[in-house]
Amino acid sequence: MADVATGNPLVPMPARIVKIVEETPDTKTFYISTDQGKPFTPKPGQCVMLSLLDVGEGMFSVTSQGPDHLEIAIRKVGVLTTALHEAEVGQVVGIRGPYGNGFPVEEMKGKDMLFIAGGIGLAPVRSVINYCIEHREDYGHLWIIYGARTPTDLCFKEDLFNNWPKVENCRVDVTVDRADEKWTGPVGFVPPFVEQLKPSPENRIAIVCGPPIMIKLVLETLAKLGYNDEQIITTLEMRMKCGIGKCGRCNLGSKYICLDGPVFTFAQLKLLPSEY
Amino acid sequence: MYKLATEKLPELLQCWSQGATVYVPQKVGEVTLFRPFKGQGDLALGEGNTLEPPKDLFFPRTEKLYDYWASGKEARLEPVELHPDRAVLVGVRSCDARSFLLLDQVFLTRGYVDEFYKKRRENTAVVALACTQAAPTCFCTSFGIDPGRAEGVDVQMWPVPGGYLLEALTPRGEEMLKQASGLLAPAEGEKIPAPAQPSLQVELEGLVEKLQKMFDHPYWGELSRKCLGCAICTYLCPTCHCFDIDCETIETSGYRFRCWDTCLFAHYTLMAGGRNPRPTRKERLRNRLLHKLQYFVERYGQFACVGCGRCLELCPVNVDITKVIRDVKEVSL
Amino acid sequence: MSLQDKMRERARELLESGAVNMVIGWEKGTFWYLSPPAFITTPEEADRLVWDEFCLNNLSKYLLDYRNTDDKIALFVKGCDSRNVVRLLQDNQFPRERLYLLGIKCPGLKDSRAASLLGEEKRAELPLAPKCVGCTHPEPVIYDELLEAGVSGDLGSPEKRFEDVEKIEAMSYDERYAFWVNAYARCIRCYACRNVCPACDCRECIFDRTQTGWCGKQMGLTQNMFFAITRALHVAGRCTECGECERVCPQRLPIMTLNRKIIKELNALFGPYEAGVSLEAKPPVVEYRPDDPDFEERR
Repeated sequence: MADVATGNPLVPMPARIVKIVEETPDTKTFYISTDQGKPFTPKPGQCVMLSLLDVGEGMFSVTSQGPDHLEIAIRKVGVLTTALHEAEVGQVVGIRGPYGNGFPVEEMKGKDMLFIAGGIGLAPVRSVINYCIEHREDYGHLWIIYGARTPTDLCFKEDLFNNWPKVENCRVDVTVDRADEKWTGPVGFVPPFVEQLKPSPENRIAIVCGPPIMIKLVLETLAKLGYNDEQIITTLEMRMKCGIGKCGRCNLGSKYICLDGPVFTFAQLKLLPSEY
Repeated sequence: MYKLATEKLPELLQCWSQGATVYVPQKVGEVTLFRPFKGQGDLALGEGNTLEPPKDLFFPRTEKLYDYWASGKEARLEPVELHPDRAVLVGVRSCDARSFLLLDQVFLTRGYVDEFYKKRRENTAVVALACTQAAPTCFCTSFGIDPGRAEGVDVQMWPVPGGYLLEALTPRGEEMLKQASGLLAPAEGEKIPAPAQPSLQVELEGLVEKLQKMFDHPYWGELSRKCLGCAICTYLCPTCHCFDIDCETIETSGYRFRCWDTCLFAHYTLMAGGRNPRPTRKERLRNRLLHKLQYFVERYGQFACVGCGRCLELCPVNVDITKVIRDVKEVSL
Repeated sequence: MSLQDKMRERARELLESGAVNMVIGWEKGTFWYLSPPAFITTPEEADRLVWDEFCLNNLSKYLLDYRNTDDKIALFVKGCDSRNVVRLLQDNQFPRERLYLLGIKCPGLKDSRAASLLGEEKRAELPLAPKCVGCTHPEPVIYDELLEAGVSGDLGSPEKRFEDVEKIEAMSYDERYAFWVNAYARCIRCYACRNVCPACDCRECIFDRTQTGWCGKQMGLTQNMFFAITRALHVAGRCTECGECERVCPQRLPIMTLNRKIIKELNALFGPYEAGVSLEAKPPVVEYRPDDPDFEERR
């Protein structure tokens, strides 16, 4: 990123929702494209500011991308996300970005990868899982451990149960907090599930993403399993407005999540105030 | 070096008004503010700091980013093209002049350039006025600021008996003095008055290092008991620069704007799901003070306080940043 | 024994006996003309407390910070402050049994802004704080014990409070509009007037709910005036004229003039009423009465 800008970085480009996938009752994945194709090419883990022009703007991670579109998975929680959930294919949106540092895919090369996610936390992790799959020869074993409240709350089911298990040297373990009558898989929270699966820390990088409480407990579990702080990567979330490290609100100490994050190693996080 | 007679000041301002808007401290009601010079008005150049810092010249309280139209699935936007008028800011004190350099760091560096800020900044000439008398709330010298000579300005003025001395510090400044040459007399050998000597001082040695160990200290909880959580200290701070981005829609059209915001308001960090990483005044006041005294230093290498004393003068409950600095040095970890 | 010594002694005793676990009073601030709020939690700290002519802050507002705690609080109250305590009790914002009131018969306080300009050598000649001019209740209306603060100064006649209102009433509509536009164009919506006001006791203020669309976050005249009017009307019948809003306003906007206009109108419409003077008398716009003349008229 050079210290040059073309145009006002706070003004989005117009784009359209070209496809909507209902992941769970409260989560949808929106496929975003412009007349010229993909708005830009984010690195795995980077975020975008997506807006409905007359409602508002919010920062979301890009969960995946194709040659001519970005995929953004959004859970319905507030005013903007509720309005987005009511939108239909063809809706014009504003998009600007990509923002943030993204996952350290270069440093991860040659490592076995462990992905641990809970709920909508799989959205940012999916971008790096897909990246590792696309660059399969650069990475070792891929292990995905995912959990959600109930089987219906599992996001990206097609990937979890169909696409990813077929990838060479890739393992997927899924748990739910509460089973329904059809669920035959493991039941229980993610942290004890990880402890039970005992992924060895040998030559492995763990990427953890989910609700704050899950992250906290998983970090404790990984420490117990012998992971050091440099081996653990997570992403942070704060309220954001500008996305470019100026408006102030997403600071964690002297770092801005939007610009210097959202991806941090646990070692980096330990040096920052515990205000997230 | 040139001299301007006191009675010629309005003529000088008039002269600089050719093709530009001149902003100069004026009495407005009971307070002093930078206001456009319109040939008359109650000039208040001699009365210390203005109530509001001049930062809004570059970073307006509210600024439109783009207009939009939205109906059904269709929507379009029209970015605001900014062509700011040329401006001359006259009577800026050394503390506020330093604040511009700090705001430049925020808005013009670290990967993204704020185009609106940049245009306004480039279009504005800054004429500083030296301080020869300090208010009890002034402590600029603690931050290495010289009240007698401002940094990064086009023209420096000094008050002297019967008028002002003026010295150009940039080519633009030289141009301005040339423009006003008919009003100025050469003032070689004229003595520059001694700068103000604020009696209030703070010792900054070791402060950042101490604060780095104090994030979880009970001091912040105690300090924040009296804080009202209002925005006086942030909105009237020359270096505070936080903003919000929001929109105003009426039926099918509207505009998106950015406006001043403050880390002392609860909704500043309130997330859509209801989580707030800074849920009480303790976390919010701590963030403000650490931003000034630690975070900004870590990020940009300078303190984000210029010792102008506005927060100290105006805080309804006397949250005093100089006392905070003294307290921090004394509290045991 | 001076009032200040008495305050310190009583604070110490109350904390030592465990009758309360916090005393809220005033302490000396950065300058001689500042006496900001102090929160005393141990007997040893009681000597921080001061009483002087700059103890302007109305401390009753802080009760709201402790409404959901178990803290037992001793609070120093001047006459005006005590009326806000009554209001908070009436609104069930704080339980009386967790509150010990140390009333101060107030002699009238001094203008700290004037003090900062005039200097310490003029301390004896300082003007009365604007908020004290025409004070109707120098003596607290509710207390557990009363402390005397010496001879009362001349606070002026209560009618003086409405002088500014009458000046504006004498203006034409256009002049009035210009007056308020002129003032509120300067408002920076720092919300200090709201945050310092003990009558502003909503858990969540509509001006903090920016997403609802009631009032945009822009700093514009429309939004400023909407805020000013909403705030004034929302404290209608609940404003005790403690004057804190106007005292803290950095732009020195005539906020009390707005409040007093409403008080004047309420008195004319509903009969004389002073907020927070008695626990029994409910504010006119809060209480419903079947014999309300408007109600009769509509029937």
